[in-house]
Amino acid sequence: MNEHTPHEHTPKGWRRWLLSTNHKDIGSMYLIFSIIGGIAGLIFSIVIRMQLAHPGGTVLGGNHQLYNVFITSHALIMIFFAVMPGLIGGFGNWFVPLLIGAPDMAFPRLNNISFWLMIPALIMAGLSTVVGMGAGTGWTMYPPLSSLTGHPDMAVDFLLFSLHLAGVSSILGSLNFITTIINMRAPGMDFFKMPLFVWTILVTSALLLITLPVLAGGITMLITDRNFGTTFFDPSGGGDPVLFQHLFWFFGHPEVYVIILPAFGIISQIISTFSKKPVFGYVSMVYAILSIGVIGCGVWAHHMFTVGLSPSATVYFSAATMVIAVPTGIKVFSWLATMWGGSIRFDTPMLFATGFILLFTLGGLTGVVLSNGGMNIVLHDTYYVVGHFHYVLSMGAVFGLFGGFYYWISKICGRQYPEIWGRIHFWMLFIGVNMIFIPMHFVGYNGMPRRIPDYPQAFAPMNYIASIGAYLTAFSTLIFLGVALYTVFRGKKAQSNPWGVGATTLEWTLPSPPPYHTFETPPHIGGDLHEHK
Amino acid sequence: MSSEKKHPFQIIDPSPWPLVISMGALLLTLGAVLAMHNKDFITLFIGALMVLGGCGGWWRDMIIESKDTSIYTKEVKNGLKIGMLIFIGTEIMFFVSFFWVYFNASLFPPEVIGSVWPPKGLKTIDPFDLPYLNTLLLLLSGTTVTWAHHSIIEGNKKDFTLALGLTILLGLSFTCFQAFEYYHAPFLFKGGIYPSTFYMATGFHGAHVFLGTIFLIVCYFRSKTQGHYTQESHTSFELAAWYWHFVDAVWLFLFISIYYGSWR
Amino acid sequence: MTRILLMFLCQIFALPLFANQPTEWALYFQEPATPLMVRLREFHDYLLVISFFIAAFVFLMMFIIIYKFREKKHPVPATFSHNTPLEIVWTTIPVIILIFIAVPSFKITYMMDHIPKSEMTVKVIGHQWYWTYEYPENKIVYDSYMIKDADLKPQDLRLLSVDRPLVVPVDTVIEVLATSTDVIHSFAVPSFGIKRDCIPGKLNQTWMKVFKEGTYYGQCSELCGSGHGFMPISVKVVSKEDFKKWIEDNKNKKG
Ligand code: HEA
Ligand code: HEA
Ligand code: CUA
Ligand SMILES: [Cu+2]
Repeated sequence: MNEHTPHEHTPKGWRRWLLSTNHKDIGSMYLIFSIIGGIAGLIFSIVIRMQLAHPGGTVLGGNHQLYNVFITSHALIMIFFAVMPGLIGGFGNWFVPLLIGAPDMAFPRLNNISFWLMIPALIMAGLSTVVGMGAGTGWTMYPPLSSLTGHPDMAVDFLLFSLHLAGVSSILGSLNFITTIINMRAPGMDFFKMPLFVWTILVTSALLLITLPVLAGGITMLITDRNFGTTFFDPSGGGDPVLFQHLFWFFGHPEVYVIILPAFGIISQIISTFSKKPVFGYVSMVYAILSIGVIGCGVWAHHMFTVGLSPSATVYFSAATMVIAVPTGIKVFSWLATMWGGSIRFDTPMLFATGFILLFTLGGLTGVVLSNGGMNIVLHDTYYVVGHFHYVLSMGAVFGLFGGFYYWISKICGRQYPEIWGRIHFWMLFIGVNMIFIPMHFVGYNGMPRRIPDYPQAFAPMNYIASIGAYLTAFSTLIFLGVALYTVFRGKKAQSNPWGVGATTLEWTLPSPPPYHTFETPPHIGGDLHEHK
Repeated sequence: MSSEKKHPFQIIDPSPWPLVISMGALLLTLGAVLAMHNKDFITLFIGALMVLGGCGGWWRDMIIESKDTSIYTKEVKNGLKIGMLIFIGTEIMFFVSFFWVYFNASLFPPEVIGSVWPPKGLKTIDPFDLPYLNTLLLLLSGTTVTWAHHSIIEGNKKDFTLALGLTILLGLSFTCFQAFEYYHAPFLFKGGIYPSTFYMATGFHGAHVFLGTIFLIVCYFRSKTQGHYTQESHTSFELAAWYWHFVDAVWLFLFISIYYGSWR
Repeated sequence: MTRILLMFLCQIFALPLFANQPTEWALYFQEPATPLMVRLREFHDYLLVISFFIAAFVFLMMFIIIYKFREKKHPVPATFSHNTPLEIVWTTIPVIILIFIAVPSFKITYMMDHIPKSEMTVKVIGHQWYWTYEYPENKIVYDSYMIKDADLKPQDLRLLSVDRPLVVPVDTVIEVLATSTDVIHSFAVPSFGIKRDCIPGKLNQTWMKVFKEGTYYGQCSELCGSGHGFMPISVKVVSKEDFKKWIEDNKNKKG
């Protein structure tokens, strides 16, 4: 409230960080949180791969419940504490206001609580792994495995409350983003001039606001089932376990687009910058994003083809799922067309963007295979599915994260990363992830179920290759950490625009790092940012 | 670079409340688990206090800021309104999950409960008893809150306070009747799928009524004792009124589907 | 390396080299043993061809772009950002491809759901962590446990072999009813192309008609707790005569 006293503008010390109301500081905290989350998720995945490197693995001391706890934590941490805080909280906070020429987010205090709620959420998730038998339900938490029948002690309650906290955080964050984007665009920044990253954050936020409350209702009912004797999901009292699956996937499927859309946005910005060409087909890109969001809300039961859906439901959910391939295809082809005719620099961000397009396409195609109700019966709950979703998550979303990191780090901290090490990181990660996840498709075809801590001899060779690949990604992440630390503390000082003529969006007009408060005089968006009609 | 602010938006100084509430939320959830499993209520209590205190402080700050028209510009108020609408939207989706469960059970009643809805041998509440009265109360409060809104738009503060006070009284009596109904209900929370859905849906609705009432009470005292709100500037009251209408609408759905729909 | 190549070739030409169990270095499905799985496998071959061409197209474009439009080779970027006919083409072609996928796909879905007149019924009940098999017509009920590592005999497959497999006759339409008494399990046999969740309080239905005698393996396919990886499914398919004998032998035994 004291905007008249300039000395108050840059708070110092702990107040600046703990009590922050500045979108850039909060964005930076989110990014650090995301990197820590990513490393935690990575450690879990490495233990998983060590356990699975050979049949009869004993890394977890033969404790199979512990294995289930590890895959649960791996998935939840990667999704809720690495990718979402990175793409939405981190890059969204930093760059949505900058890209639309706004001075900050609409509700700065709300922004801060969105971040600080993530810490309790992480603590509760951590507790759920160490208390009692741990929460070994898988990230899908199907009852009765997650009710008292399967997990009588408090671990699952910790997990459910962790999700509640993370959910509140995401809801408040999304509310903030939407209000900011609707209300605070600089003069002249029409909706159809907004950079695509802003569009993706807008649609992602809307998806979260629509679907998260349904999950919240579902897990609330699970909590009362566990602790207050209700029978929402308990067949002996007239409840229905399948209902929880509906509620979960009504959230869970849109959630995967929540994850991938911001990555799409980052990739669009990177490709346009490095090809030195405006985004091809901007308007149809926007409609593609919107239709992915809309259709994505109506396809959830494709995760449930084996529960005994009626054939008409199966056909509907198959068809609706396949339709999403069309707008996604528009995006892939538009990226290619953006690059076509460009004058392309293959710096690290562009390498990640290129890798993203190729690998995401593969993951999307296996998704289309899975979407066929009949075919899905054979492949459901096998490693083929694990292969599918890591192609879109561990290559799609994570490549988006790293691409965004290399693209924007000079803007964030005023120093540029060492190019050669960025490229080494990319290539190691690229080879590593393919080594992990290609063989998973093969064992999946051959019938290996997911979520098993030990497997028949027949699956040994492929699993061994996958584990070696996982170790390689771990090394590549060490390199990434080195790069990140070096950049932040020692990196070469960066100019305001390191990428040259291709970088046309507003953030590159600011110094690197930008001042604490930006756009105190709103920029005027004249002309045509994207040179579209 | 410390240039003068030339935009209409609010830039806020560091605030302690988000941190207080978050840490309170940690204790609250941790405490909830401990309370449910070990009957240990202390953490829960401290957490709840911290959350409430943090919310109170936050709200207080916002009220102080709102008096400064150089902060609460048209654009800032506009943002608050958009935020409130979005919030109400997510709340609707929250209720969707409970209605989903309800319709899943009532349209496809499972064998365990005799394949009929309401479950065999269960006495449900007569909708034209207390629930009907409650419906009338809420509908009436919907009109009084609109009356209050029109009065403030016309600058008639006396009517405004009166109508607002009436709304609050109606809201409070709703809550009392609801409590009475729960107390005398012929079934317990634990009694199977019908009671589960009934208490979950009406309970969360009741909680929202309660919150909405507090919101209105704060507006009332701001107007009555602090002399806030003018013809041009009454955003927070407007938000409270929206929230109240939302609560009202949810009740109508509850009444029709859960009370009337399970009536035998 | 040659071994991998050989395996690969076998896979491609679908030589009958693979038995009805998972195999090392296998890249593709287990040998189908039901008409349904034959259909599914054919359908997947078809999907694979389509996917291959789509992926090949995207990769090819990308390589051309990387080659032709590098900064060094192509220093001056073009400025176009629109081409409506092109956009229409790349919207309609995927739609057409999807229709070509969806039609056969939905046929299979209906085929799976439509149970031909069943000649016998088996009921499978999932438990933490073993299976109970029930033959309602003959009042036979028994449990089926995985063979522990210590008790493995040379011919047994680790984590796949069980003490008492499900026994069914060849060339018979068998209705499978699936349910559970505790948490959700899933009854799955890859070479039959079946997988049905066993959900407490619900009786799920599927069917199979196996055309080749032999022993087939599957594993529980829904996370059901710490023993999830250790409740395999083994189905012994025998001739109709042998099955009759087996029924007689087991009818009056308490399982
Ligand atoms: C970022 C995350 C992400 C994304 C983007 C997707 C995208 C898609 N997913 Fe995936 N999926 C997951 C994450 C994701 N998924 C996860 C986490 C699970 C498992 C959850 C669990 O059980 O734990 C899962 C599981 C899953 C299943 C259930 C499998 C099972 O358990 O049995 C199915 C089935 O339909 C499916 C389908 C699809 C489809 C059709 C798409 C489509 O959106 C893909 C569209 C993209 C393309 C098709 C490629 C580009 C298009 C072209 C080049 C145009 C031309 C193409 C054609 C004409 C086909 N996914
Ligand atoms: C975003 C999601 C995500 C990501 C990135 C990953 C990454 C990896 N996953 Fe995971 N995984 C899931 C989501 C994810 N996974 C889910 C949802 C499941 C299902 C769980 C269930 O069954 O319930 C699963 C399950 C799963 C299994 C199956 C377990 C089973 O079914 O028994 C395995 C097995 O190998 C595995 C391995 C790996 C490996 C080796 C990686 C490696 O790729 C890891 C390498 C990681 C990195 C390279 C990323 C590091 C990131 C950072 C350091 C952040 C950087 C931040 C900024 C730049 C800001 N995962
Ligand atoms: Cu039984 Cu998994
Ligand atoms: Cu999905």
